[in-house]
Amino acid sequence: MSRGVGMAALLVAAMAAASSAQQHDTTTMPPGMPMPGMPGMAAGGMAMPIPMPKGMVMMPGLVGLTPPGGSFLPGAGVDPASLPNVRPSAVVQMRDGDTLDLSATLVRRTIAGRPYVMYGFNGEVPGPLIRVPQNATITVRFHNRIDLPSSVHWHGVRLDNRFDGAVGITQQAVAPGDSFVYHVHFPDAGVYWYHPHVREDVEQALGLFGNMIVDSPDSAYYSPANREQVLVFDDLLVNADSLIPYGKTGPDFALMGRVGNLLLVNGEPRYTLAAHRGEVVRFFLTNAASSRTYNISFGGAPMKVLASDVSRFEHEERVPSVVLAPAERYIVEARFEKPGRYALVNAVQAINHYRGEFDAEVDTLGMVTVDSTPAAPDYAGAFAALRDNAAVTRDIDRYRPYFDKPPDKRLTLTVRGNGLPVATVQFMNVDTAYYAPVEWVDGMPDMNWLSTNDQVKWILRDDATGKENMDIDWHVKEGSIVKLELYNDPKSFHPMQHPIHLHGQRMLVVSRNGVRTTNLVWKDTVLIPVGSTVDVLIDASNPGAWMLHCHIAEHLASGMMTVLHVDPAAGPGR
Amino acid sequence: MIGRVGSAALALALLVVPARAAGPFDIPLFATPRAPAARGSATLVFAESPFGVAVTADGHARYDVRITAANLPAPSSLGAYHAYIAWAVTSDLAHWQRLGTVTNGTSTVGHIELDKFLLVIAAEADSASTTHSGPSVLHGNSPSSWLQTFLAHSAFFHGVTD
Ligand SMILES: [Cu+2]
Repeated sequence: MSRGVGMAALLVAAMAAASSAQQHDTTTMPPGMPMPGMPGMAAGGMAMPIPMPKGMVMMPGLVGLTPPGGSFLPGAGVDPASLPNVRPSAVVQMRDGDTLDLSATLVRRTIAGRPYVMYGFNGEVPGPLIRVPQNATITVRFHNRIDLPSSVHWHGVRLDNRFDGAVGITQQAVAPGDSFVYHVHFPDAGVYWYHPHVREDVEQALGLFGNMIVDSPDSAYYSPANREQVLVFDDLLVNADSLIPYGKTGPDFALMGRVGNLLLVNGEPRYTLAAHRGEVVRFFLTNAASSRTYNISFGGAPMKVLASDVSRFEHEERVPSVVLAPAERYIVEARFEKPGRYALVNAVQAINHYRGEFDAEVDTLGMVTVDSTPAAPDYAGAFAALRDNAAVTRDIDRYRPYFDKPPDKRLTLTVRGNGLPVATVQFMNVDTAYYAPVEWVDGMPDMNWLSTNDQVKWILRDDATGKENMDIDWHVKEGSIVKLELYNDPKSFHPMQHPIHLHGQRMLVVSRNGVRTTNLVWKDTVLIPVGSTVDVLIDASNPGAWMLHCHIAEHLASGMMTVLHVDPAAGPGR
Repeated sequence: MIGRVGSAALALALLVVPARAAGPFDIPLFATPRAPAARGSATLVFAESPFGVAVTADGHARYDVRITAANLPAPSSLGAYHAYIAWAVTSDLAHWQRLGTVTNGTSTVGHIELDKFLLVIAAEADSASTTHSGPSVLHGNSPSSWLQTFLAHSAFFHGVTD
């Protein structure tokens, strides 16, 4: 019966939309793709730029609205023909003490036949693949040659706090035309990535991301493979004419984050690999998307997972697919036993919010073509065996006595809205009777688009003090082992999963919903599904002021961040 | 008929049965006329996974189910039955997947790899039964059953073609 009231309110909202205060600004919006069956299309003459999922139309109560605050596209007025064509990522092998010049610039990218003005590091997307030995320190001279303030964050690296790239915490933004010198020390083997820490919803989304691979001195660190492939996933939201513009003063798509409709691997819509029969391929996977969580597999090829963000797993494990939340990394090996074609897919169960059903959605991101030449050497035996990484278990043993201690700190993940369109609010009231633990796609991009960081406040709330986001003032001593409990409140007006990232430290997920994790791995980004309680143990060994935040770019910009101060054990001045 | 045992059980039931789905993992269970005093609830628990969430290659959530039941009568009181078995049933009732045996108290059964399903606890002839035939005593819907269907509101969402 409350639903009846809700629907009545929705209808009222729909009728009121025509007289909405928010006017469509034709100067900042590109001409949109006409949506078949879109209400009000002819009458208002308004072009709706947001592509809707198949078979859906914009909610009548939202027609005619645009995000308040206006929007823009970087490189406006720049003729794409005047820009260099983007190049694919090149490997830069570096030794301890080496220096790299890294410039963020405008580039021209042609994706699915359309030219776009976008960004790149050193003219490449992804940026240069920095390959360094473990324990090396390199110097990176960053030059900002784009039209927005920027910085470089070295995601997952336990480096000196001054070089963390966290704008507003460890440095000022690097203004267009300026430079900043980073000294980056790599204490842990694995795969990491770098990206700006300013307007990630724009800069990272337009191509400013790249990987670092840190090589262990142990040549048998991973089980053997015939080749290595580095895959970065991201997505772009486009309509028939252009990129969907970005919020001028802060992100739009503040509810769910911007979920693209053009899925890219290493910046391209189609990844290809040619391999031999029986090859074992080691894949370094990174999710650089603003919001999308992926479920990746290779056409049924058997896979095992070796490592994640900051370490290997205690035990290699056979997996059907890899769930990759924003900013997470996994290192997996797949074996392509027979000649043929293996599709690299993202396969998820999307919620159709109109029909109240789950729909299988399969995005083909690439193809591995396997010929009949046998792989040499043949690693079938090593691939079939699941290794135990005793060194990882030994390293973690020191932390095991703390697994069961009560949480030192508790954070509740929630959200508040203010000034959202009435139709959006009423829809949420009706629709949030159920929320999926993970929303894999954006089923309601119209509502999402029309939400900005002024209207949506994403919140990390300290249960002990009630303080929120940057008002939380957490200090721990260097060397302490901190148990943090993260609870994703399912009762907020728009619950959603959050990939929570802690800078400059490493952490273990010790339990999920009270169930102990049995195969541990050091992480820097942890997915918290809706309704879930996740206990992490933070190894607070690296002094400094470290951001703790949601890695959905639009949630971060909508407030979902705090700082964990790790105070030097020897006191100030260390 | 209800007596002291019944009211104690009712008090217990009030503790274990939420008024409605409290979150994306909670399933209130309802008694059938065959066992009107039976009470219960279930919680979906993600299966073990090295990732942030457990899913199949197709993206279906992988859950174990923690079932708390009270006042289940002896199965033999309903006929030639010897155990209660939990079944995950597709919404077209075509597929009954055996999850495991259930007793009064808490039982963990699984896995479920369905996004929308009915949870049925039925008396069966044998604790090893793999096909469903006996009377159901408790049933509930997956939390995803709370998903609103806006198709019913055609005046509102006109233009939906799919
Ligand atoms: Cu978030």
